Amino acid sequence: MQVTLEKNYPVAGNVAAAWQVLSDIRELASCMPGATITEQTSETQYKGSVKLKVGPATAAFAGEITVLEVNAGEYLLRMIGKGADKGGSSASMELTANLIAGDGVSCTLAGKADVIVNGKFAQFGGRMMTSVSDMILQQFAANFSAKAAALNVVPPVAADAHGHVHPHDHAHDHAHDHAAAPAAAPAIPTELNVMGIVWGLIRNFFASLFGRRS
Amino acid sequence: MNAPINERQAALMGMGESRLRKEDARFIQGKGNYVDDLKLPGMLHMAIVRSPLAHARIKSINKEAALALPGVHAVLTADDLKPLKLHWMPTLAGDVAAVLADEKVHFQMQEVAIVIADDRYIAADGAALVEVEYDELPVVIDPFEALKPDAPVLRDDLAGKTEGAHGKRYHPNHIFTWEAGDKEATDAAFTAAAVVVQEKMQYPRVHPCPLETCGCVAAFDPIRGELTTHITSQAPHVVRTVVSMLSGIPESKVRIISPDIGGGFGNKVGIYPGYVCAIVASIVLGRPVKWIESRIDNLSSTAFARDYHMDGELAATADGKIQALRVNVIADHGAFDACADPTKFPAGMFHICTGSYDIKDAYCRVDGVYTNKAPGGVAYRCSFRVTEAVYLIERMIDVLAQKLGLDKADIRMKNFIQKEQFPYTSAFGFEYDSGDYPTAMTQVLEAVNYKGLRAEQAIVNANPAAPTLMGIGLCTFTEVVGAGPSKICDILGVGMFDSCEIRIHPTGSAIARMGTITQGQGHQTTYAQIIATELGITSEEIQVEEGDTNTAPYGLGTYGSRSTPVAGAAIALAARKIHAKAKKIAAHLLEVSENDLEWEIDRFKVRGNDDKFKTMKDIAWAAYNQPPAGLEPGLEAVHYYDPPNFTFPFGIYLAVVDIDKATGETKVRRFYALDDCGTRINPMIIEGQIHGGLTEGFAVAMGQLLSFDAQGNIQGNSLMDYFVPTAVETPHWETDHTVTPSPHHPLGAKGVAESPHVGSIPCFSNAVIDAFAHLDTTHFDMPYTAFRVWKQLKAVGATH
Repeated sequence: MQVTLEKNYPVAGNVAAAWQVLSDIRELASCMPGATITEQTSETQYKGSVKLKVGPATAAFAGEITVLEVNAGEYLLRMIGKGADKGGSSASMELTANLIAGDGVSCTLAGKADVIVNGKFAQFGGRMMTSVSDMILQQFAANFSAKAAALNVVPPVAADAHGHVHPHDHAHDHAHDHAAAPAAAPAIPTELNVMGIVWGLIRNFFASLFGRRS
Repeated sequence: MNAPINERQAALMGMGESRLRKEDARFIQGKGNYVDDLKLPGMLHMAIVRSPLAHARIKSINKEAALALPGVHAVLTADDLKPLKLHWMPTLAGDVAAVLADEKVHFQMQEVAIVIADDRYIAADGAALVEVEYDELPVVIDPFEALKPDAPVLRDDLAGKTEGAHGKRYHPNHIFTWEAGDKEATDAAFTAAAVVVQEKMQYPRVHPCPLETCGCVAAFDPIRGELTTHITSQAPHVVRTVVSMLSGIPESKVRIISPDIGGGFGNKVGIYPGYVCAIVASIVLGRPVKWIESRIDNLSSTAFARDYHMDGELAATADGKIQALRVNVIADHGAFDACADPTKFPAGMFHICTGSYDIKDAYCRVDGVYTNKAPGGVAYRCSFRVTEAVYLIERMIDVLAQKLGLDKADIRMKNFIQKEQFPYTSAFGFEYDSGDYPTAMTQVLEAVNYKGLRAEQAIVNANPAAPTLMGIGLCTFTEVVGAGPSKICDILGVGMFDSCEIRIHPTGSAIARMGTITQGQGHQTTYAQIIATELGITSEEIQVEEGDTNTAPYGLGTYGSRSTPVAGAAIALAARKIHAKAKKIAAHLLEVSENDLEWEIDRFKVRGNDDKFKTMKDIAWAAYNQPPAGLEPGLEAVHYYDPPNFTFPFGIYLAVVDIDKATGETKVRRFYALDDCGTRINPMIIEGQIHGGLTEGFAVAMGQLLSFDAQGNIQGNSLMDYFVPTAVETPHWETDHTVTPSPHHPLGAKGVAESPHVGSIPCFSNAVIDAFAHLDTTHFDMPYTAFRVWKQLKAVGATH
């Protein structure tokens, strides 16, 4: 199951702040709900994990990230991540992220992701893949934006790049919380709650029936 | 006992009566006895670890965590089966299939390891704990891609083998090339023809969907050295032979029991890794082992059907007389060639594809190809590949009619084999035993007012403002069933005969044991009716027993509409042996010569004397207690029937559909099915079979599909996606019949269960495409979901 997503996301931080987040793989990974970097194995290679929760079932993807290109001049990052779960799913994502400068307090994150999913998730979730990937990237972009925003207001030298993350019970609410409080360090859940995403999809579906999307 | 003839006749409930199904009383009360109902003392449960990937090398399998789980008894992989030489097994098609993946996996959901535990839940938990590491390999899903020179090689185990079970292999992913007909004469006819049409069509990969999935309970008795296996099999005797060959246990110590079977439709013909693993596990552990498939496992890994990419051509005169047929097929067989066909026919009876038409020259070629999909290729409610063949010819004749601007009924009438041409030898060499197509066709066209329908269609489809398109589909098919004559038909070398053993008890009731096995066909009802008519014993007093290899005579089982054509004949001939002996006994009792006796419903009577008679009941008692001198006591017979030919049931189907131009939804307004299955044994059961077959045909045409993404992930392998029509979607069926008995069958019967499936699918296709005929559409592929039809409406600019 292959899905290509190409999308622009607004970032509530200036391009320099955003680049700080983007070029730090650990920081970047922590924007992905449920993802952590566990080990750096070479200059460009990392080991990490993603925890996924679908209702009562959890899956832990263990995988590798290889950074293919970091271009500070063009604010461009390319990386490829591959992972597998013991329960019979595997996934890979080739990501190209490019920051486009904005007005000094904001910028745009232009992302292109080629996602390939195999195994159970591809069998059962095939037709929802695009929507689910879209929602995951939205959450990711929102977290990214919040992190960049936090760097915007706090002088970079004082920034704690590995800011403490508080556990948060309402994962799906989070994407909507952050905009009101750009200064607060974002609380990122430690696992990706797919039920939350599915709920978001259902809400969007019904909203779209009445001509609007949340 | 001297009741009037008609009363005695009615009391028998013999052939031709709509006797109520004897099976239903227990099924509707939940008293059926299916494999999963069986609980044996000390029984363990098996779960299967399956591959998440379609093509990958296995780097490692770690059993530790699974074995550490309390309640898990064993975890077995291919390496454990290797010393027993059971990690691969022979298939019915002359190939081998992995029992458990050996070094690499060839399709998603392939069996990689098994876990045996105290209950089903622990087994499933254990399976989740088995850690398998894979190295991904490039996946090949499209059979055309598989045949490209640089395609990845799927079967390492066949490396360098240029000779397969059916001749030369020209590519590592090529299985066989099978040809029939006269290529030269056909090519010449095409060169000379006034009109040629060609159409490419895909008969997609579908899967039978019986209510009961596959499963077994294997119980090896280490003291006696006996193996008893209750199994969901349509061919228990063949299973016994194969199990004995694979395990080395003498066939006399292997007992296979097919209890009640909740539908088969071809899915339960094959021998699956799950069965083999459960048997091995039982032998290894010395305890009974149960394996029951989940629905997802069933749809993903046990045998699929179809997956034929067909390229058809017809050559004809300018006025629509067909001169030649040419067909090329790429057959996607998946990772192992496990197609269930008679050994000599790797494409089954696909060469019935000249259909009901008198076509002088014909040629067909089928190339089997390996891909990273589950193996199979079973006959889903049809005789071997007959559904594909009928689809091809019935679509092609419509394509020709459209090209020539001829009416689709007229072109059929013009090309039918005529009644006086039977027995008719087709260009492919089949000898059609009997048929009368024009009479049946006329009956249908009049019943539905065909001319009126066409007139209505012309008005509706000429009006761009009309909310719907109207389509009329015809299918005038001939099936070839009842495999088959053992001089050409065998499975693993066993001729495709079938058998019946009848015993008449001293008090005149009877038991019949059969080599077939019912899966819903109602054998216990209909077989008894045959004996009732042949022997004059009421059908209520006749027990029919099937499925236990320890008691039943050897037979090849039930599939390919072979029960009535083959086993039905065996019943009649076994009964006639008893009848002949009974006559001797009656003559002895009545003290007359046999020549002075005549048979009347339930008795022999002295010719012309209604008061001097002996009923079959009287004779049964005498057979045991006062047989004539020189005649051995008892009244029983066995008959093994090797049919001299196939039978050729036919039908004329007509469908009317209305397609919503806004949504693409297809409504079946009318479906009229006329079937000719020869002599009719139980009209009610025939009608039920036709309703069931039409509904399954509707399912295939309108929604069933197993599709795969580019990585080989199977899509839609649960009933969330896989279409099984309920009463809500199913159209109203109108049925009709003519009777053209088979001249070579002792009862004249031809078989019926599969006709409605085979015939209805092209009928639906023809109806849907007919709705687009005025928009120059000659074909688009099944299934006709609203989305696909809407896309076609969009493509021709007809959406609202």
